[in-house]
Amino acid sequence: MPVIAAKRTLRSHPTSPPRKSPRRCPVASPHSTPTRSRFGVDENQADPAPLKPNWNPRDGEQMKRAKLALHLSTAPASVVCREEEQNVILEFCKGCVEHQKSGSLYICGCPGTGKSLSMEKVKQHLLNWAKEAGLPLPDVLSVNCTTLTNTSDIFTKILGLNQIQGKKVSAMPLQQLQNMYSQKSPVKKMTLIVADELDYLITKDRAVLHDLFMLTTFPFSRCILIGVANAIDLADRFLPRLTSLNCKPIVVNFRAYSKDQILNILEERLNELPYTVFQQQALELCARKIAAASGDMRNALCICGSAIEMLEAEIRESACNLNTSLEERSPSKQNLPTTPDFIKKREFDIVKTDHMARALAKTYRSPVVDTIQSLPHHQQIVLCSSMKHFRGAKKDTILGELYKSYVGICKSSLIPPAGILEFSNMCRVLNDQGLIKLGQCREDKLRRVSPKVDEGDITFALQGIRFFQNCLE
Amino acid sequence: MEQENHKIKAVNLLRSRICDPKFIFKNDSADSNYSKLKFMVSSSVTEACNNSVLLLGPRGSGKNEVLELVIQDLLQEYPDSISLIRLNGLLHSDDISAFKEIARQLCMEHQLLFSKAASFDDNSQFMVAMLKECGLAHKTVIFVLDEFDLFAQGKQRLLYSLLDAMQSITSQAVVLGISCRLDADQLLEKRVRSRFSHRKLLFLPPSIEDSQKLLMHVLTLPIDSSFPYDYAVEFNRKIQNIIEDKRFKATLNKYLNVDSSVKHLLRFLFCAASHMDLQTGFLSQENIELSFSSIQRQPKLECLRNCSSLELKILFCMKRLEVKEQSLCNFNAIMKEYKTLPQPDDYSKNVCLRAFEHLIHRELICFTDNRGQNLSVEFRPVKLLISSAELHQGLRANNSCPRYRKVQACRISLPTFTSLADKCHQRLFASSLTTPSNPHNFISSMNKRLRFQDVIDNHKIQREEANKCVRTCPLPLPTIPFTSYIAHPSIPTVSSRS
Repeated sequence: MPVIAAKRTLRSHPTSPPRKSPRRCPVASPHSTPTRSRFGVDENQADPAPLKPNWNPRDGEQMKRAKLALHLSTAPASVVCREEEQNVILEFCKGCVEHQKSGSLYICGCPGTGKSLSMEKVKQHLLNWAKEAGLPLPDVLSVNCTTLTNTSDIFTKILGLNQIQGKKVSAMPLQQLQNMYSQKSPVKKMTLIVADELDYLITKDRAVLHDLFMLTTFPFSRCILIGVANAIDLADRFLPRLTSLNCKPIVVNFRAYSKDQILNILEERLNELPYTVFQQQALELCARKIAAASGDMRNALCICGSAIEMLEAEIRESACNLNTSLEERSPSKQNLPTTPDFIKKREFDIVKTDHMARALAKTYRSPVVDTIQSLPHHQQIVLCSSMKHFRGAKKDTILGELYKSYVGICKSSLIPPAGILEFSNMCRVLNDQGLIKLGQCREDKLRRVSPKVDEGDITFALQGIRFFQNCLE
Repeated sequence: MEQENHKIKAVNLLRSRICDPKFIFKNDSADSNYSKLKFMVSSSVTEACNNSVLLLGPRGSGKNEVLELVIQDLLQEYPDSISLIRLNGLLHSDDISAFKEIARQLCMEHQLLFSKAASFDDNSQFMVAMLKECGLAHKTVIFVLDEFDLFAQGKQRLLYSLLDAMQSITSQAVVLGISCRLDADQLLEKRVRSRFSHRKLLFLPPSIEDSQKLLMHVLTLPIDSSFPYDYAVEFNRKIQNIIEDKRFKATLNKYLNVDSSVKHLLRFLFCAASHMDLQTGFLSQENIELSFSSIQRQPKLECLRNCSSLELKILFCMKRLEVKEQSLCNFNAIMKEYKTLPQPDDYSKNVCLRAFEHLIHRELICFTDNRGQNLSVEFRPVKLLISSAELHQGLRANNSCPRYRKVQACRISLPTFTSLADKCHQRLFASSLTTPSNPHNFISSMNKRLRFQDVIDNHKIQREEANKCVRTCPLPLPTIPFTSYIAHPSIPTVSSRS
């Protein structure tokens, strides 16, 4: 586990088992006090956990703690929903260490599914178990393959671990390793190598990846190799020879999180806080949306964080409005009893579904429609005229043709068209913004233009403008 | 002199306001991008957590300016808790040079010695170690990545390392990316995109109402002791009148229709403020018009205005050759065409050649390719570098071409002319003008859509005769003007005056 610096005050209890948070009363509303309802208490629990009070978002300290609990860098005490996969990996490592034989394992899964996090826990567990069992502690090497300038540097790193002090690194670390593993040696320690982002090691001749996994096949090899990557079929595609040698790595697949798993993880993180921050429906909405989109836990945490920020922004805005309204009223009238009552009625207690919906919309909405609507008029005409060309079978055209159709639209609506130089400037601006793609050519008029934005988006963006109604059909 | 001083002071004040990004972009309302960005970064600094933001928007919309303002404010508020690293995608898109630059800037900030011979591994380990140290010391490192989309080329190792380092609890970093591509986050690899918190700030160009508000904001003089009261009030009243004037609104709309970014608007404002008349001390409608026209200068038109009449005739002949779709256009061909003009002047070939070369030097025409360097100037093919509209305007402006005024009067509008589907119709017009029918009737009938059949009917030409004309008669005659190929709203469509 990385060392947690002293400034972090939050400590969760590492020994308490993960609890499911109690189900709320189905007719609960944000304003009703939740403590007294006995309806929805979970039958699985032996003792009904007390429902927590709502938080006070105006308290800076509570806000900080809430954001911290949901932050990406805060590693949770226990990794929920990955127990099965962790067990498989742990058993494999334990077997290798106990029987002093080498082996290889390949972990795959989409980004944000908890692979690196689980590996950290497994390493911890392994070291603890080895200590308890009295076996020699294995050396652990974690390498992130993106940091290697040369792919063969990984062998230098492995060698560095096995190095006796004072020995120089020779020019052929791979040879050295292979020699080492071909001879019987008195050292009983195993080496656990965790290679993150394994696909960075793939070169044209796939030699490095192959040699790395072949290290485990040597008779006196002492390394336990665990590779982590995104592709499911990496082992099959890039290591075909291993199958013939019958030492294919075991593949552990970390599937994308389902809605229930995401909900579990979020609640687990929020359990540490002594108050409720989110409305239950808001959490469910988030989990459902993320599970349908990518199953990426990082996205879920980010969106929850930005939902909290929406609430914060609302509070600030109302405080601003209140201040300005008070300032306006105070010279004219004194003792306004209605304003403080107004504040009391608008309680900002928990993050509701509309905050969550807004946060989701902000993340998943592409800025294309907004940008098209705010383009200057002539650039919109250019986009419109490009739609006609991109409807046919051939999806691109040249700048000269586009200019002709642009001029055509301008003429039919009696607008003076811009000259060819200004037109190519406008096309370059559109290319910069990623709305069309402009190729290279010596002649300006012969540059290829291809679309980058869906026709539906353009139609949707320009539908409200009367001018384009004729052109869009 | 006291009287004059405040006018000069007013001009200076306006100009300094336009050049000061703080005045233009510092907007304290909660909706503005400035306050949103400031809130995001300052909360990351105070709460000691990691964050990443992308600023997206077309060029000239003020992304860099707003970022600079926010950073300046933060450096003032938290002088010791911020360390700034700037990278630019045009210079450091290569991972090795990027890490080197990061290491160098970190060394400079913390007064360490930077070694140029450090390898890529050393630099990256140094960066990770420094992030850890800064985290322990409660110092936030802010990475500003300009031209963010250029960093997303290749293997994206820098982005991955930065965003990955932000996942650990020991580091405190904020990554701010600036890009003009709206889909900059789609360019990221899926691993990198997963680690990026999807916060985007969109910098859109202002709408028409916002542009007018900005104009008022910039041009209104403050009513305080720095200016005499009457003068300031009068000045503001005049500005108000100008901005609400319909003509001004129309010109401004036309100007902003091409490019509505803030930079474009400020360029116009600066020009307007500089043109202010120091005698009266007020901005007037004429100043505004003058500044519009001076910004929208057309260099080729000015070149044309200085051309002699012989040069203009040469250009005219080239245009006619283009209309006739003659593929080879060189000096000899132009001279042949020139001879067919009515009343050709008696200039010797050398004079014409000199005029021709003058046009080449002025870059109004140029050689079509760079081959044939060995051929003499007379034989090399040339092409026009100006458009029909520009040539037409140049001819109109030049008073020494009286005979072409008559030509211009016979203009027909483009839709009519292009409704003639193919060349045979065009030739037919040409030939029918030579027949003894009344040219006036013909021209007036050309305003309607015409077909081959109509032409024959209207002008009582025999079908065989018409076909013969089509086969034998070449296109134009001086009375078909080349300027009929454009529809410029300022060109009157044809009437029966000719």
